[in-house]
Amino acid sequence: MIKVSNLSKQYVERAAIDNISFEVESGEIVGFLGPNGAGKTTTLRMLTGYIPPTSGNASIGGHDVFSESIKARQKIGYMPENVPLYDDMRVREYLRFRAELKGLRGQEARQGVSEAIDLCGLKQIRRQMISSLSKGYRQRVGLADALVNNPELLILDEPTNGLDPNQIRRFRELIKQLGIRHTILISTHILSEVEMTCNRVIILNEGKIIANDKPKDLSRELRSANTISIEVKIPTETAQNLINAIPGIKKVTKEHQVEEWSHLTIRTEPGNDVRESIVHLANAQGWPLREIRTQYATLEDAFVEITQANTSNS
Amino acid sequence: MHAPKIIITIILLVIIIISIQKFLSGGTGLVILKKELKSIFYSPIAWVVMALVMLLNGFSFTAALEILRKADVDETLIGYTFSSTSFWLTYFFIFPVITMRLFSEEKKLGTIETLLTAPVQTIHLLLAKYIAALIFYFIIWLPSAMNFFLFRISSAENIDAIGSFFGAYVIISLVGIFNISIGCLASALTKNQLVAAMACFTFCMLHFLVGFILQDLPVPESWQSSLFYFSTVKHVEISISGLIDSRQFIYYLSFTILILSFTYNVLEYRKWKS
Repeated sequence: MIKVSNLSKQYVERAAIDNISFEVESGEIVGFLGPNGAGKTTTLRMLTGYIPPTSGNASIGGHDVFSESIKARQKIGYMPENVPLYDDMRVREYLRFRAELKGLRGQEARQGVSEAIDLCGLKQIRRQMISSLSKGYRQRVGLADALVNNPELLILDEPTNGLDPNQIRRFRELIKQLGIRHTILISTHILSEVEMTCNRVIILNEGKIIANDKPKDLSRELRSANTISIEVKIPTETAQNLINAIPGIKKVTKEHQVEEWSHLTIRTEPGNDVRESIVHLANAQGWPLREIRTQYATLEDAFVEITQANTSNS
Repeated sequence: MHAPKIIITIILLVIIIISIQKFLSGGTGLVILKKELKSIFYSPIAWVVMALVMLLNGFSFTAALEILRKADVDETLIGYTFSSTSFWLTYFFIFPVITMRLFSEEKKLGTIETLLTAPVQTIHLLLAKYIAALIFYFIIWLPSAMNFFLFRISSAENIDAIGSFFGAYVIISLVGIFNISIGCLASALTKNQLVAAMACFTFCMLHFLVGFILQDLPVPESWQSSLFYFSTVKHVEISISGLIDSRQFIYYLSFTILILSFTYNVLEYRKWKS
C-alpha cells in the first residue's frame, strides 16, 4: 500500500528525514513512533503530498505521491496533527463539504457522511457549530473527515493528542474496528496505544528509522528482557557468588534486603533461561526461595532504550 | 483598432476561457466556490460591509445631486457620484476587507493542509477563492446602480448619460478584477489577516495614485508623465466620461493574470523548499 524508498528531506541547516525506506502492506495497522522532532509529521506530510521530498520516492497504492499526486491523494484519508477545522461551519455541513471535495456527489456524499457520523459517534452533535465542540469531539470530526470517502489508507497524525483516558480507550477501539477495512498508519507517542492496536511499529529518531518490527519482537530483543529477579533467605554475598558461577549469567546485582530476605536482580545472556538452574541451586543449598520471576520489557522500555541509545551514539 | 491590440485581446480571452474551463472541470473548484460564498454570506462581515458601502454610496449620490441642483455644470450625475470623497473612501477599504481572510485564515487555522492534501488542485483552490471574492465585490456594487435607476424613474427630466453609466461600471469591474487579485496575493503571503489587509491597501492605493505621488518625489519629469498612464485615477476619469477604452481591458486583465500566477506560485512555494 505504502512504499517509501530512500526518502530524504533536507532543510537548510539540518536533515529532517535522512534516507528512510519502509513498506506498509494492505490491511496492516502500523504505529509510527518517535520522540518529538524525530520527523514523524514531516514524513506523513510527504506521504500526503503536502511537501515534496528532497530526494527519494514514495508511492501510495502504486501512485507516486509527487508526480501522480491527485491519484495518490484520492486513496488517503489524512488527519493532520491538531485537527484543523473551520470554526464557522456545522459538523454535518463540514463533512458534506469534505466529501464533495473528495469527489463524492449527491447520494454518495450523503451516505458517506452519515456512515462517518455513525462510526465516529457524532450523531448528537451533527448540527452543532464546530467552534463549540470539545477537544474530543473535534478529534472525532477530524477522523470522520478522514473516513468520509472510505479511503483505502488512513494516515493519522497523533490522533489521541489531548484526549482523556476514557476517550483514548474509545479511540483505540475505533482504530481496531477500522483496521478491519482500512490500512492505517498512525503516528503517536502514546505507547500503550501502539502496543494494543498495531501489528507493526516503526520507530523514528533524528530522521532515521531505528526499528521496524512487531511490538512483541521489539521488546524481546531488549536487554531488560533477559532479567530475572529472585528473593532468597541467605546473606547477599553468598548468593551472589554462587549464582555467578552458573553458566550464561552476566551479572548479579543486589536490589535491597528486607530482614533476612535478599532481593537480587540477575542479568543473563540473551535467549538463556536460567530459572531452572537457579531453582536447582537453591534446592541443593537448601535456601528458602520465595520468589522467582522473569521481567517482561514493555514497549516503553524498548522505546526509551532504542531512542536514547541512538541519540547518545550520534 | 490596431492589429497587435486585437492579437493581445484574443490571447487574453483565450487564457481566460481556458482557466474558466479548467476551473469547471473536475468540479472541486465549484465545491470550494460554493463553500466560500457560504462562509462570506453567513458571516456578519459581509452584511456590515454591504451596509456601509450603501451608506457611503448614498452620501456620494446625494452630494452629486446637490452639485447638480446648485449650479449649471457640464458633468453628469454619474461623473460627480464617482469622483466624490465617499466614493474614494469605499474604494480604499473595500478590497482589503474582501480579500484579507481568503488564504491567511486558512493558513492560520491550518486548514490549508487539509485542503491541499485532499484531491484538490491548487489552481482550483485559487480560482475558487478569487471568483468568490469577485462575486462578493459585484454584489456590493449592485445597490449603487439602483440609485441611478430610481433617479431615472422618479425624476421628471430625463438625464441621459448611458455611456457614462456603462463606463463607470466597466471601470469599477476592471479595477475590482485587478485589485482583488492583489488582495489574493497579499493574503497568500501571510497568515496574519491584518498584514494582508495592510499590504493590499498599500498596493491598491499606490497603484491608484501612482501619478500623483510621484509629483511630490524627486523623479524625472519624463518618468512622471509616463507613469501617470498606470494610475487608476486617470482610468476612472476617462471611463466615467463615457469612453470605454480597450487599452484598459488589456492592461487590467493581463496584470490580473500575472498577479494570480504569482499567487499560484506563492501557494505552491512550499513545494520548492529543498
